[in-house]
Amino acid sequence: MAVSTIYSTRALNSTHFLTSSPSSSTSKQVFFYRRHQSQTNRRFNTIITCAAQQTVVIGLAADSGCGKSTFMRRLTSVFGGAAEPPKGGNPDSNTLISDMTTVICLDDYHSLDRTGRKEKGVTALDPRANDFDLMYEQVKALKSSIAVEKPIYNHVTGLLDAPELIQPPKILVIEGLHPMFDERVRELLDFSIYLDISNEVKFAWKIQRDMAERGHSLESIKASIEARKPDFDAFIDPQKQYADAVIEVLPTQLIPDDNEGKVLRVRLIMKEGVKYFSPVYLFDEGSTISWIPCGRKLTCSYPGIKLNYEPDTYFDHEVSVLEMDGQFDRLDELIYVESHLSNLSSKFYGEVTQQMLKHADFPGSNNGTGLFQTIVGLKIRDLYEQLIANKATAPAEIAKA
Amino acid sequence: MMSATASHGGVMMLPSPSGALQHQRPPTVTGSDMFRVRRKEPRGLRLVVAATAKYKGTKMREEKLSEMIEEKVKEATEVCEADVRSEECKVAWDEVEEVSQARADLRIKLKFLNQDPLESFCQENPETDECRIYED
Repeated sequence: MAVSTIYSTRALNSTHFLTSSPSSSTSKQVFFYRRHQSQTNRRFNTIITCAAQQTVVIGLAADSGCGKSTFMRRLTSVFGGAAEPPKGGNPDSNTLISDMTTVICLDDYHSLDRTGRKEKGVTALDPRANDFDLMYEQVKALKSSIAVEKPIYNHVTGLLDAPELIQPPKILVIEGLHPMFDERVRELLDFSIYLDISNEVKFAWKIQRDMAERGHSLESIKASIEARKPDFDAFIDPQKQYADAVIEVLPTQLIPDDNEGKVLRVRLIMKEGVKYFSPVYLFDEGSTISWIPCGRKLTCSYPGIKLNYEPDTYFDHEVSVLEMDGQFDRLDELIYVESHLSNLSSKFYGEVTQQMLKHADFPGSNNGTGLFQTIVGLKIRDLYEQLIANKATAPAEIAKA
Repeated sequence: MMSATASHGGVMMLPSPSGALQHQRPPTVTGSDMFRVRRKEPRGLRLVVAATAKYKGTKMREEKLSEMIEEKVKEATEVCEADVRSEECKVAWDEVEEVSQARADLRIKLKFLNQDPLESFCQENPETDECRIYED
C-alpha cells in the first residue's frame, strides 16, 4: 500500500526528476512530475511522491524452536491465507510465507553452527552463538522494504546453508530465542510477544513431545531441561520485561495436585500505554473481576472454566492481566466467554470462536493458549491497520502558488 | 462494540457492525461436533488425514532425526557423568533439545499442517531418489 505525500511547486515547463528527497521518509520513493493539464488559472503543479509500504515488524520469543507452527498458523490465519515454506527453495528452510506475512526464524542468524558451538562450548541460547549485527541490518532493511539474502540454519544437519532471498512483506514476524535481546532490534519491533512456559508445564509438554522417541526417557528429558536452564534464565527469560504482551502458561489451580499438564491456567499480560494496542478486558477496564461462567445457564464438565481480570504491575510497568483456567468443552462455552470479553478487536461477533474452530485440532484449541494466541492475532491485525491508516494520513502539503 | 455485562447469563445478541451473526464455519463439520469428538476420542488419536511422510526423502529425514536423538542422548549422558555443570554437558543436552525439536517440528508439519517439506522441491524434481513416493 502506498503512502503519498503531495507537494507543490511553482510551474515548470518541462518534465524532470527531482533528486532531493523529503527528509521524513526512509523508504523507496518514486518521483514524477506531472504537468497540470486543464485550462485553469491555477499556477501550480503537483509532484506526487510515493513511499513504498513500511513493513510492520512483530517479535515473538519462545523456547520451542521455530516450529511454533500452530501459534504462527493462528496468527497468520487471522490475516487469511496459509503460511507455507518458500516454494522451490531449500526444503529445510525455516521461513514461512503467506499473503500478508513472512515469518523468519531467528536461528538463521546463528553465527556458529552445531560444530562451532560444540568447539566454543556455547549453547544456542548464548548470545555468542548469534550474529545480532546481521539480524539488526536485515530486519532494518526488510522494515524499509528492501529485500535481503538471509542465511538458513539447517536444523537437521546443524549447518548454515546458502542464503535465501526474502522479499519485504507487509507484516514481518521474527520468532526465536532472541527477538528482544538486542536493543537495536527491539527498537524496530512494532509489537512484541513473549511466550512464558512455566517449568512444570514445560516438563509435561516435553514429555508429550519426546516420550515416543526411542532415545528418550523421563531422565533424559529432565536432564536436558536442567542443563539448559542456566543459559535460559540468563539470556532468554530477561526478555519478557520488554514484551508488550506475555502469554504465561501455568499448571491449573482447578485440580489439586494435577501434574499431567493437560489442564492449563493461561495468563495474558498486556502492557498499558502501548501505541495502537488496547488490552482486552472483562467487565470493565482497570477493575478486578473473577468469573466462573459455568452454572445454571451453562453446564460445563469438570474442571470447568474460571476467568480472572485485574490490573497489575509487571517489571515496573502497568499491565492488565486476563487469565483463563480450565478447558472449553463445547462450542457454546467458547462463544459465551467471547461474548463477555471486551476490546477484542474482532470484526464481527463470534470471530474469535470462528478462528478457534478453524484450527480445532491444533494443541491448545480448548484452553487459554489457543484463545489468547487468537486474540493476540486479532490485536496484531488491529495494530497493523491502525499503523497503515496513520501513515496514509501523513501531512499533505499543498500550497497554492 | 462489545460490552461485557457479567450479570446476564447466556449468549447475548450483541450489536455487531454488520448487525447479524455471520456463519463462516467450515460447511461439513460444526464446531460443537469437533469439540465433542475431541473429548470422546482416546488420547493419541487425531482427526487429521495424513500423518506420514509422502516422499522417501522426508521419511529418511524422520529416521535420521530419530537416530540422532538416540545418539546424542547417549553422548550427553556420558559427557555429563564427568561434570554435570561443565560447558560440554550443557552443549550436549542443548544438541539433544535441538534435534528433538526438529523431529517434533517435522511431525507437526506432517500431522497438523499436512505439508511435506519436500513438496515443492519434488514438484520440480520428481525423478530424484528423495522424491520417490514413500510406500509403507
